[in-house]
Amino acid sequence: MHDIELRVNGHAERASVPAGMTLLEFLRDRLALTGAKEGCGIGECGACTVLLDRTPVTACLVLAVEADGLDVRTIEGEAADGELSALQRAFVDAGAVQCGFCTPGMIMSARALLLRSPHPSDEEIVEAIAGNLCRCTGYEAILAAIRAASGTGGEP
Amino acid sequence: MLGRFEYARPQSVDEACRLLAEGGRAAAVLAGGTDLLVDLRNGFRSPSLLVDVKRLGELQALKTRSDETVVGAAVPLNVVVENRELRKAYAGLSDAALSIATYQLRNRATVAGNLCNASPAADMAPILLVLDAELTVQNAKGTRAVPVATLFTGAKRTCLVPGDVVIDVRMPPLDGELRTAFRKQQRIRGHDLAVVNAAAAYAPSRATLRVAVGSCAPTPVLLEPFDTKGTSPQALADEVLRAAAAATAPIDDVRASAAYRRAVLPVLLRRLLADVVSGRGGGI
Repeated sequence: MHDIELRVNGHAERASVPAGMTLLEFLRDRLALTGAKEGCGIGECGACTVLLDRTPVTACLVLAVEADGLDVRTIEGEAADGELSALQRAFVDAGAVQCGFCTPGMIMSARALLLRSPHPSDEEIVEAIAGNLCRCTGYEAILAAIRAASGTGGEP
Repeated sequence: MLGRFEYARPQSVDEACRLLAEGGRAAAVLAGGTDLLVDLRNGFRSPSLLVDVKRLGELQALKTRSDETVVGAAVPLNVVVENRELRKAYAGLSDAALSIATYQLRNRATVAGNLCNASPAADMAPILLVLDAELTVQNAKGTRAVPVATLFTGAKRTCLVPGDVVIDVRMPPLDGELRTAFRKQQRIRGHDLAVVNAAAAYAPSRATLRVAVGSCAPTPVLLEPFDTKGTSPQALADEVLRAAAAATAPIDDVRASAAYRRAVLPVLLRRLLADVVSGRGGGI
């Protein structure tokens, strides 16, 4: 077992984890942050996307122990005081959410994009979410949502 | 859970070498983990110890001086993609890195990891072959340079031995203009390995062209250098295509048939040569 200390959505967390536990399992099973989903488990689908030190990663391919000392942000860190972030609101308004399984990962990829490029081009948006598969929307509504959230600032 | 194993995060390269030497074949180097953790999950590998080298300072170097280009073994691909100096000097290197997987995976995956995984389809291999890149490898006995051209010994096999830690990837000094390009044939942009990939480096002042091909043999293949003096682009292309066909032996696999690979390789190579010889610039 390994003792780890990390920040998750601004909260300091300490835990003892086995080496084989993924960051995704830690978030879901230990912290009950079930927004990030396991789709494929091999880094292909992006449903488990979270930010690790402000850059998006697939949490299924990161060990919990690798996140020791780092800063993790998940979809649960988007809304503040019960209010959706501007990015989340844009997804709702654009009808960019259907079954919802890809949405937490999709929004975290979009969040990371807005953090590094506050006014992204369509090309940047497409490249940023290429690693997030959505089988419902056909992506157009998602592109519209991220376009609408452009300029709303990197922070939720 | 990805299995039962121990995890160590050494504080120095020496400590990493010692842990890996003690662990022998049961120990594995953990860099980005985007290949290793998938193998653990699928049960293809079951090491008893993972040695995490990501936070070692020596492995995070990134130097892009004209006389020395060094990419540390733990530098994520996105850092390579986004580095403007690297793109200016080696467009083919940036394009090869950008062609790998997705933004999320490129935040973890590393140049050295892509090489050491030794997939026949490794996208960083052809470009680093044509650049005459070398790996700096350290173990308990000392440090040595391993040319990428001698790294691959078979599909998923390298000449590295237990106890070796790759420190960085080094490109030789730029000597005059060098035009580089990378091309990749894949079924789906963003989520697919190469059906065929290839890279070229053309030095107009020395009239030398280097070409390497991936995913068409058990290892990536570096062709003998081509002398471009007094050769028409058409004759040069024919020569490259003949050499590539002779040096490769494509197989049928889940991504493509051997016949398709043989058919698409000449198309990809002609485009690649147009990229570098006509100086039209690259593209994937």
